[in-house]
Amino acid sequence: MLLPWEYGVRNLARRPLRTMLTLAALSTVILLVFVVVGFIRGLEKSLSISGDRDVVLVYSVNSEENIENSAIAARTPALLAASVEGTQQRFGVTHVSPEMYLGTRVNTDENNGGLGLVRGVTTGAPLVRRSVKLIDGKWPSSGEVIVGQLAAAKLGYDKQDLAIGKQVVFENKTWEIVGQFAAGGAACESEIWCNLADLQTATKRQDLTVVALLLEPGSSTAEIELFCKERTDLELRALGETDYYQSLQQHYKPVRILAWLVVLLVSGAGVFAGLNMMYGAVAGRVREIATLQAIGYRRRAILLSIVQEGVLLAAAASLIAGAIALVLMNGLAIRFTMGAFTLRIDSVAVLFGCGIGLLLGVLGALPPAIKALRAKVAVSLKAV
Amino acid sequence: MALVELRGVSKSFTKGEETITPLDEVDLDIQAGEFVSLMGPSGTGKSTLLNLISGIDRPDRGTISVDGVEVTGLSRSKLADWRAANLGYIFQTHNLIPVLTTYENVELPTLLLKLSKSQRRQRVELALEAVGLTDRANHYPRQLSGGQEQRVGIARAIVAHPKVVVADEPTGSLDAQTSEQIQTLLQRLNRELDITLLMVTHDRDVAGIASRKLVLDQGKFVDSETAITMGV
Repeated sequence: MLLPWEYGVRNLARRPLRTMLTLAALSTVILLVFVVVGFIRGLEKSLSISGDRDVVLVYSVNSEENIENSAIAARTPALLAASVEGTQQRFGVTHVSPEMYLGTRVNTDENNGGLGLVRGVTTGAPLVRRSVKLIDGKWPSSGEVIVGQLAAAKLGYDKQDLAIGKQVVFENKTWEIVGQFAAGGAACESEIWCNLADLQTATKRQDLTVVALLLEPGSSTAEIELFCKERTDLELRALGETDYYQSLQQHYKPVRILAWLVVLLVSGAGVFAGLNMMYGAVAGRVREIATLQAIGYRRRAILLSIVQEGVLLAAAASLIAGAIALVLMNGLAIRFTMGAFTLRIDSVAVLFGCGIGLLLGVLGALPPAIKALRAKVAVSLKAV
Repeated sequence: MALVELRGVSKSFTKGEETITPLDEVDLDIQAGEFVSLMGPSGTGKSTLLNLISGIDRPDRGTISVDGVEVTGLSRSKLADWRAANLGYIFQTHNLIPVLTTYENVELPTLLLKLSKSQRRQRVELALEAVGLTDRANHYPRQLSGGQEQRVGIARAIVAHPKVVVADEPTGSLDAQTSEQIQTLLQRLNRELDITLLMVTHDRDVAGIASRKLVLDQGKFVDSETAITMGV
């Protein structure tokens, strides 16, 4: 038979200050868990939705995984369009997007020094980059740019600094912002897009960084790969966009491992907070616990009651931390080398945060409860 | 057949290099409805005997039976169940649960029995009435006097209708006037409700209210003459 529920609940109010401090400590720990799990989920989500299965990237074989370092001949798109079959065509337009992609300092009237990602594109880009949607303004003409929803976060600027009508300066040229685009949280959402020819002029380059091709459904990359192998003079390499982002997932694996390590360490700190509170709570109740045993309560029932106290406290902390995380942290933009992504306090993060919270409650309560129940009842009854 | 039977019960403790034997081959019979007081100098095993009978400690040798059940042979969990149904324990320091009201404290042992909510309520109300604390049912221990707390402790000990009630210095922490009230209450419970009581006390006057007085010394019961020479 279990002890009354009220016993565990009211015990939490016996030392209100200590309980409140432990609640604050546990809430902080669980909030940190939410943030780290939200970070991991956001990063994973950003990379997983960034790739389109039907898109193939053709870039320099010498750049290895880093597309930014790629430099390919300007005639590559025309050669690909002419030589490779399986690229999607509609109304006589081949879905090929020649692009120049670079990381550069982007300044505004109010801010300087932010490292941004700029992509020079043609009108072929929206045909290939299907997740990109112009949500405000218009497509850029010469001297104009459109900015991704997370571009300000990537630059570390205020969103207002990249509002339509404002100006940005990069590559010694001033550009007017004429539109804003979304890409469903994909990596390109943190980029600034401008006219390819303009960017080539500004950078005094004539080459390209990458050519993106949209394949017809069911087509394979084999033919493009063959083209790249045969045209050794062009030094090209073809890779499916999803494969590219998967390789980036591997690239960020150490970051994710480190993040999980942080979750582990932070949780460990939480266990100590719980232990400290429960040891204090149980140490002051040695005689009471012995009395319950003398009355006829089994040790298991008393153990469950003590664990109930720890779990109740941890559940309250989980709720507080969860509410803070959902209201204040969810959707918060995070900068990283490849762009920006948002913290995702999704169902997995909530389950994880609350699960770890409850685990902290159990782990924090078990050792002091076991210690108290191991003591001899006859001796504990005389305890002061 | 006696309600409580102890046969050849011994118990020793090791304190540093010294071995203390508070109980040495003790035999004891307590009949149903008896009120037995247990006296003796400090450290002579009075509380140890109480703890052995109530099953919260185990003897090194010998057997203890209560109402035909050999409690020394029960497992820890079975002992807990047996205590819930057959034993009431009155503590010197009341040992009430501070976060529970008078009613909830008294109700605690009944939660371990197969009783309906109304049956539990009836038992708790009867026990509180027996100790004269019906009007304090919703008070917390901190809102009660020492005497009232001990009366709650007594109500808690009798609420499950145990076969035997053990009391470890029940008046030990009370002033003289309150002590008298508790003595009267214990006597009344024994006489009117026919509760079998085994009470440990240091106080000769308190021991006097019992129908039988036992004295322990150096691990053995001593006769009345020896007890007189010991001053107990």
